[in-house]
Amino acid sequence: MSANEGWIGRRVQRREDLPLIQGKGRFAADLTMPDMVHMAVLRSPHAHARLLGVDTSKARELPGVFDVLTSADLDGIGEFPVLWQLPGQKASGIPVLARDKVRYVGEPVAAVVAVSRYVAEDALELIEADYDPLPTVVDVESALKAGAPVINEAWGDNVAIRHIVPGIDATGKAGDIDGAFAAADAVVKARFKINRFSGVPLETRGLVASHDPLTHGLTLWSSSQVAHKQRTQLASVLGVPESSIRVMTPNLGGGFGVKWDCYPEDALVCLFSQRLQRPVKWIEDRREHLMGTVHAREQVQELEAAVARDGTILGIRGKIWADLGAHIHSVGIGPAWVTGVSLTGQYRIKNYYCEVIGVATNKVPSSTFRGFGGPEATFATERLIEKAARAVGLDPAEVRRKNFIQPDEFPWFSAGGGVFDSGNYPAALEKALEEVDYDHLREEQAGLRAKGVYRGIGIGCYIHTSGFGPSFILGLVGYNTSGYEGSSIKVDPQGGITIYTGMIPLGQGTETTLAQVAADQFGVDFNDVRVVWGDTSQTPYTGFGSAGSRSNVAAAAILKAAEVVRDKSIRIGAHLLEAAPEDVVYENGGVQVKGSPEKRLTLGDVAKAAYLAHNLPKGELPTLEGTYVYDPAMFTIAFGCHVAVVDVDLETGEVKIVRYVVVDDSGTIINPLLVEGQIQGGVAMGLGGALLEEFVYDENGQLLTTSFMDYLLPSIHEVPHMELHQQVTVSPHTPGGFKGMGEAGMFSPGAALANAVSDALLPFGVEVDRMPITSNLVWSLLPKS
Amino acid sequence: MNTLHTVRLTVNGTAAEVMVEARKTLADALREDLGLTGTHLGCEHGVCGACTVLFDGNPVRSCLLFAVQAAGHEVGTIEGLARGDELHPVQRAFSEFHGLQCGFCTPGMILATVDLLEHTPQPSEDEIKEALGGNICRCTGYQKIIESVQGAAAAMASGLAK
Amino acid sequence: MKPPSFAYEAPEALDDALALLDRHGDDAKVLAGGQSLVPLLNFRLARPARLIDINGVPGLASISERDGTISIGAMTRQRTIETSPLVASRAPLLAAATRWIGHPPIRTRGTIGGSLAHNDPSGEYPAVLLALDAQVRIRSQRGERVLGIDAFLGEWLSTALGPDELVIAVEIPIGSKHATYGFAEVAKRHGDFALAGVAARFTLDGSHIGDARIVAFGGVARATRLTAAEDAIRGRVPNETLFGEANRAATAAIDPISDLHATGEYRRHLTGVLVVRALRQAFGEA
Repeated sequence: MSANEGWIGRRVQRREDLPLIQGKGRFAADLTMPDMVHMAVLRSPHAHARLLGVDTSKARELPGVFDVLTSADLDGIGEFPVLWQLPGQKASGIPVLARDKVRYVGEPVAAVVAVSRYVAEDALELIEADYDPLPTVVDVESALKAGAPVINEAWGDNVAIRHIVPGIDATGKAGDIDGAFAAADAVVKARFKINRFSGVPLETRGLVASHDPLTHGLTLWSSSQVAHKQRTQLASVLGVPESSIRVMTPNLGGGFGVKWDCYPEDALVCLFSQRLQRPVKWIEDRREHLMGTVHAREQVQELEAAVARDGTILGIRGKIWADLGAHIHSVGIGPAWVTGVSLTGQYRIKNYYCEVIGVATNKVPSSTFRGFGGPEATFATERLIEKAARAVGLDPAEVRRKNFIQPDEFPWFSAGGGVFDSGNYPAALEKALEEVDYDHLREEQAGLRAKGVYRGIGIGCYIHTSGFGPSFILGLVGYNTSGYEGSSIKVDPQGGITIYTGMIPLGQGTETTLAQVAADQFGVDFNDVRVVWGDTSQTPYTGFGSAGSRSNVAAAAILKAAEVVRDKSIRIGAHLLEAAPEDVVYENGGVQVKGSPEKRLTLGDVAKAAYLAHNLPKGELPTLEGTYVYDPAMFTIAFGCHVAVVDVDLETGEVKIVRYVVVDDSGTIINPLLVEGQIQGGVAMGLGGALLEEFVYDENGQLLTTSFMDYLLPSIHEVPHMELHQQVTVSPHTPGGFKGMGEAGMFSPGAALANAVSDALLPFGVEVDRMPITSNLVWSLLPKS
Repeated sequence: MNTLHTVRLTVNGTAAEVMVEARKTLADALREDLGLTGTHLGCEHGVCGACTVLFDGNPVRSCLLFAVQAAGHEVGTIEGLARGDELHPVQRAFSEFHGLQCGFCTPGMILATVDLLEHTPQPSEDEIKEALGGNICRCTGYQKIIESVQGAAAAMASGLAK
Repeated sequence: MKPPSFAYEAPEALDDALALLDRHGDDAKVLAGGQSLVPLLNFRLARPARLIDINGVPGLASISERDGTISIGAMTRQRTIETSPLVASRAPLLAAATRWIGHPPIRTRGTIGGSLAHNDPSGEYPAVLLALDAQVRIRSQRGERVLGIDAFLGEWLSTALGPDELVIAVEIPIGSKHATYGFAEVAKRHGDFALAGVAARFTLDGSHIGDARIVAFGGVARATRLTAAEDAIRGRVPNETLFGEANRAATAAIDPISDLHATGEYRRHLTGVLVVRALRQAFGEA
């Protein structure tokens, strides 16, 4: 393959694979250091209780134990901040260790460091914590009742925020939601319940903190998705200068959002390391992960849609109650806010009103997870569309056609306040319907029913707001973080290219992808580009770093940084070739005088001269490197359509997926092989949430799903063959036309499955309005005869 | 109670000896005492399959075995699969067909596949699912894992890969 | 999730194992396949002072046929049972059910004796062995005894096994040549413990059903014979109407629990459906 063919768009095999397939990857759990000791954390067994005291004396006496911490030892240590502070949101923070009160099962109460994890766990059993149990609230309904136990006493009640999203048009003028409903031929109402589930990466969280006697600083190896952000937050919690902390990330075994947040253990390992002057390691175990790492998604939605006889959706309004868990976590209310502004989906729905109510319950805090509020909205919107179609007697596909934003209507200003960059929503739907042979499926459906086969077809269209987002907009909504990515490119004296990115790869193939982008910019072989990541001391600050949907922003940063380096090469090259810079171009891995290919220098030649600096243009600084920080001009909106075909067993309620078609459009594709992997993985995760996964609490706030025998991840048996089709509508905003795609697969499976099962059971009037769609649920919805 | 046991076993064809408490799992002994960190721990209760190793040639959960139980037995880990620089065809296929993303489940997945293809050189899709049903992957959605197994089977059958 | 400390014994002869059990039985656990015990240890939900590992005890892992009985040593791995031609031909119900246990790496280690002694009410083996009217051979220093499976199985993980006793073999009567069986279960995922399941064995008496042993498992305290359903079909000609009667008799007789995986009501309904499916497997869609 010649470099001239271009690396963007090629199915390049990943460079990440070679160590991983040999067991030579280096994950947090694999790190070891001299004198390293091991931490374990005592967690609350109560959902809600006064913490009267913690006696650690017996634990301290156990041979092999080095140190024990309780909140009494944390004077001067702060709380991790809530980053997303919508106007009107009540104050909250993430304590390092519970003080006075515990608010969910799994909340850290004390921590131990010992010679091994085995001994550290022995020591936990010797800590005596004295609790006075309090009444609990485990769902939004009971949390809102008058006289309900108040979890965060300073709030006065359990409501973190009531936030109103008024529907607006492009000029900011409110729509006429009441008028829309008054004019409707039909109104469909629904109460949707989105289950509590989460990313649950196969690798749990892991940390190794080590105090460095040379620099008096702290090095933290961390399975964080966002090392720079973690460093900023750690500095504020620990009360030390940010410059004294270096965060490094090893291989990550998946993240899916849950490793974006900061957690108590991040501070605890650092504190222990400072106290003991030894490296301290903590590897979360699976039980801890299920009760100590953020959950996500759980919402109750009461929504209604106004529908005209011809299928036009005149308006949507309603309320969303987000079950936040015990306190507001890093982005607490953020995902529900995203749901609240997104319910008009990809449709021209101009009248809109939504109220978002964040509610505290005695459960694990809820926060970031792949899709971030979007899949919750997709479920609701696509179910409402389906119900609207039934209400006016039209085919669900027809109603979607009727309401789609058209390709020539971009930029589109959504009623929730979003700006959509580009899209071709009808094309995605038509492609999916064609591939699945929708008309034929509809024709054979009645015949199959007569034979006792209850086949359903469910459509789930989605839009995915990726490249989150322009920093100034994050500021407008109180999101105390930034949307940019930085990239530095250094050409070494031999002409070798190294790119430095603040993005943390979680397993997607980020290194391969970014190298492909850079290789094209310099006209070199992909294998000649090195990528450096995962070290705050080397890489540029990243504002956001939720890598799943960020390849677009990071890739754009690389495009721009490459431009800086190429321009400098041209200036130096022109000087050496004794030509005017405007007569010199960068081509095929070097600079040459236009029209005179014999007057040419390779990038290596230029680099050598740049570093020697014996003969540079006047005013030009030595070396050859460039940095660019790309703050996205606007959000990029990926989109697509899923169609699920299912057979429902009326006797058992079991749902068998017969076919699953996916059409995805994520803008310019850098590596089709990797995009397929991302989409397929996202669909599988979406199917997990749709069919299997749920964190379940009993009425006392005890978490029942504390093992993989109870929290059920999809296995190879449960994920069907996915028929994946890719379309490309470029983004006009991103250099390169990229959009994000890492989260896209996640959006529609719930909607497509719920629609398909409801469609299969249409003769019985069954409406599937909650997840997970278990066989028990389906059976319970069927009429008993 | 915390007596140390001396355990002699064979790991990847080489004699090894570890001194461990009885309660130390085989997975932890491989990782901590023998430095073979390719065996990953995803759940420590036998569900996820990341810690799969070959025990006397058969796939087992190394989180559900104690190191003391391995005395006198042969353990095969992911590190023992390649012959020097020559990757096993299953390893090659997983990379070629993008059967891994984060790579955390991959060692277990690959070892389970090696065992499958040893007994069933041309497996059907159902046989692949049966063999890998106890190995959870959270990244790929399994489709490219199935393709990887099929690719490896084809490569091994055609003798392209020795 | 690291296990608590325990003392470890690895006897190399049955007598040594029994002597250890005799001495330490009350606070010891036998380590067979470990596929249920070790997770409990890792979660620190079980904390025996001592583990007696019988994997090195010879003579406990054979499958043989004698005098109309298949004898399966307690330490026979599920994988071995699954692939045994003798089991396939003489106890096909056992072979069929084995494929529903966990996944291949679990079955590589898991043993039939361990499954029985653990007696998980959602486990396949106690139910299948009850359907097959198996006998459990038990030994201790006090001597040997043989218990019918029904007497062996207790409720919620308990058995009739004394603290000094060890299951050494399971014996399955081959019975009539004119036998047929059915096995059906519903689990949330392939390989999970059953929400509900049915194992059944029947003999044929001409065109009539002879003996019937129908066993429900999953969500009940122990593998349970559905005697009312058995009575409803015994001596009758198999057909869909009869299967419907069996369904009704089964659901009337069983009262499963609700938990996070399923409601008792759903499990009861499923049990009836699965009885019908097991009957159809056995007799065809009559």
